[in-house]
Amino acid sequence: MNLIRLLQAPEQPDLKQTYDAIVIGSGAAGGMAAHVLTSQGMKVLMLEAGKKLDIDKELKSTEWPYEHPRRGDMPPGHHALSLNEYTIRQPPYAAPDSKYTKVYSYVQGWSGPDYSKNIVVNEKEHPYTGTNYAWVRARCLGGKTNIWGRLALRLSDYDFKAKSRDGYGEDWPISYKDIEPYYDRVDRYLGISGVNENLPYLPDSIFQRPTRLTGAEMTLRNSLKKMNRVLTPYRAGVTTDGLKHNKYRSRCFGRGACNRRTGGCDIHAAFDSPTGLIYPAMDTGNLTLRTNSIAREILVDAGNGKARGVGFLDAESGRSYEALGRVVVLAASTLESARLLLLSKSSTHPNGIGNSSNHVGHNFCEHVMGPSVTGLVKDRIGKPRTIDDGRPGGFYVPRFRNLSEKHPQFIRAYGFEGSSGNQMFPTRAQETPGFGAEYKKKVRDYSGAFISMGGFGEVLARYENQVALDPVVKDKWGIPALRFNYRFGDNEKKMCEDMAATAQEMFEQAGFEILNVDRTVLTEGWSIHELGTARMGANSKASVLNQFQQSHDVKNLFVVDGSSHVSASCQNPTWTIMALAWRSCDYLVSEFRKGNL
Amino acid sequence: MTDELTRRDVLKLGAAATLTVSLGRAESLAQAPTFFTADELALVDELSEIIIPADAHSPGARAAKVAPYIDARLAEGWDPKEKATWRDGLKVVDQVSRDMHGKALLQCSPQQRVAVVSRMAAREANPQRPEEAFFIQLKARVVDAYYTSEIGIKQEMEYKGNSYLPEFVGFDVS
Repeated sequence: MNLIRLLQAPEQPDLKQTYDAIVIGSGAAGGMAAHVLTSQGMKVLMLEAGKKLDIDKELKSTEWPYEHPRRGDMPPGHHALSLNEYTIRQPPYAAPDSKYTKVYSYVQGWSGPDYSKNIVVNEKEHPYTGTNYAWVRARCLGGKTNIWGRLALRLSDYDFKAKSRDGYGEDWPISYKDIEPYYDRVDRYLGISGVNENLPYLPDSIFQRPTRLTGAEMTLRNSLKKMNRVLTPYRAGVTTDGLKHNKYRSRCFGRGACNRRTGGCDIHAAFDSPTGLIYPAMDTGNLTLRTNSIAREILVDAGNGKARGVGFLDAESGRSYEALGRVVVLAASTLESARLLLLSKSSTHPNGIGNSSNHVGHNFCEHVMGPSVTGLVKDRIGKPRTIDDGRPGGFYVPRFRNLSEKHPQFIRAYGFEGSSGNQMFPTRAQETPGFGAEYKKKVRDYSGAFISMGGFGEVLARYENQVALDPVVKDKWGIPALRFNYRFGDNEKKMCEDMAATAQEMFEQAGFEILNVDRTVLTEGWSIHELGTARMGANSKASVLNQFQQSHDVKNLFVVDGSSHVSASCQNPTWTIMALAWRSCDYLVSEFRKGNL
Repeated sequence: MTDELTRRDVLKLGAAATLTVSLGRAESLAQAPTFFTADELALVDELSEIIIPADAHSPGARAAKVAPYIDARLAEGWDPKEKATWRDGLKVVDQVSRDMHGKALLQCSPQQRVAVVSRMAAREANPQRPEEAFFIQLKARVVDAYYTSEIGIKQEMEYKGNSYLPEFVGFDVS
């Protein structure tokens, strides 16, 4: 049956029929929407703006550097933006007539960028304007899940009810008990690796086989216990035991080279939306996929004001099309979803669809990062090699600020991600001074003896931090670009100072020699955790969506990505995005069946 | 993609052609240089080996073919500034060598060659003179090329990853 369907699959989907739902975007949120809706029998059309890549041929995760003509570097003329460029210049960072053939965001400045250059966008074709912002976008099937960092954390009522604790902002319209069963479902369906720690502020998942810690990380873990702080193995959105219900994914073989960033995982042990969600959804026979389809506008029925479909452009031909649906599920990413809502102006929705509150694009928040520490673990110098990078991630230090005590300088919190030990390319080889036999021996002896970690802190959701449509600048397809009006505030700056200080303190307590404490606050956007531009809330005058990510204004419109988040927490958002999307789509199906949409 | 294939073909052709280089022992220079002249390539090769020499533990930059790799990258690179930096930098190296020992670096004794590089590396943290600035460029490229080579990864660093593991390595805290 499936085979026949695949053989007969038309080149282009049928655009005459009205689909039960149109899902815009194929990342974590869109993939989850497709999974939940199709598994319950709804006929879904998914529109993805980018290409379907043969991702395994792109990533080549196990290729050795010396097997690549440029050791993983991009060809000449392909340029990755640097921190300096983001700092001293203002967007748009790449003029259409830039001397470079292609310009990419900063992530292409990491190791092995030649493997991910087709996943991320060419900044020359995708301009944005306004305040400084390092916006990382992936336009292809699966979006950023193809290259994500895989740290998969739950939020808690310390986040959902943060306003009740410190008085700032808004509480979420849900509490942990509402989302907990959906976190469980995500854990079971996609697989997650980690260790139970029983922390009320970082709830445990249903973990598969955990990764292990290096000796230095054990030292730090034991030392932190005395400070009433926790170091836990990286909670990775990676199936370490395998998933018998998913034939597209393999269990993690700990092959290493996982920290070739932006690396991806071509055995798909790490979650990505295509193999984790979309291909299984296609196997139900209920999902139709159209790639190269850039949503331009959510179409509105002038009679009742409801969404009737999606107007989109073919990315290659530039031709316009309309797809018709009974429900529209927007999952284009926090910023692209806000852009599309604002682009969808009509007589019934003059400020953009779903925007009667004027909150679309506002309350934009994310994680601030930059402060980090690097230490030398003296008892690891000159030790025999161990395979320390044969795991999807290193360690995580959960938040410890503003739990029981109130910090005098700032509200909310931050956590640290870190790693240590041997890697393929010797750590700090470039920074080690000197030359000759002595230099060579020092690099060899020291390379496994470094440990480092960097912070991720909650950026407060503020109404004035927002994106809007630029009145002049358009992208390659003639669609108005986003204009940023977004800056870190005082709370973030104070938090970052504390981050650097506590990072140093924790390494000192563990007996590590401090090599470097970096206090630089990286450009807004660096964390790639943008959130909040269409927030949920009970009050339709001060929020865009209800607790089921359903538009207050347009009941057959749902926005199921990170734009719905009310506050950023300091925990990485992907797992919460998927748990929320699952919950909302369950509600969507039940409302659809009742005829309420 | 076409560029890449062309580049590989060129390298293959270069490897097929036998080239006599002034340094008899430099087997790694069997490829025709495409950016450097033969003399420049020999100089880069020697400088790379001084920076990362063979020792009892593993072969050095020469065996890892660091100089031909740098040559290939510069040949296809289109930033004229970078090319000029290398061409000028190598001239400065020989100039320093002449100032110190009265002859070009490759004519010097091994000890004299190391003395030239020591001069170049004297203020690594805060380079002032042209040869000091060039040393930063030279070392960065040599280090990158060596530790991404098969010799660098497998022999020198004895890297054991990028292989299938039945179980994660390290301390289980579950």
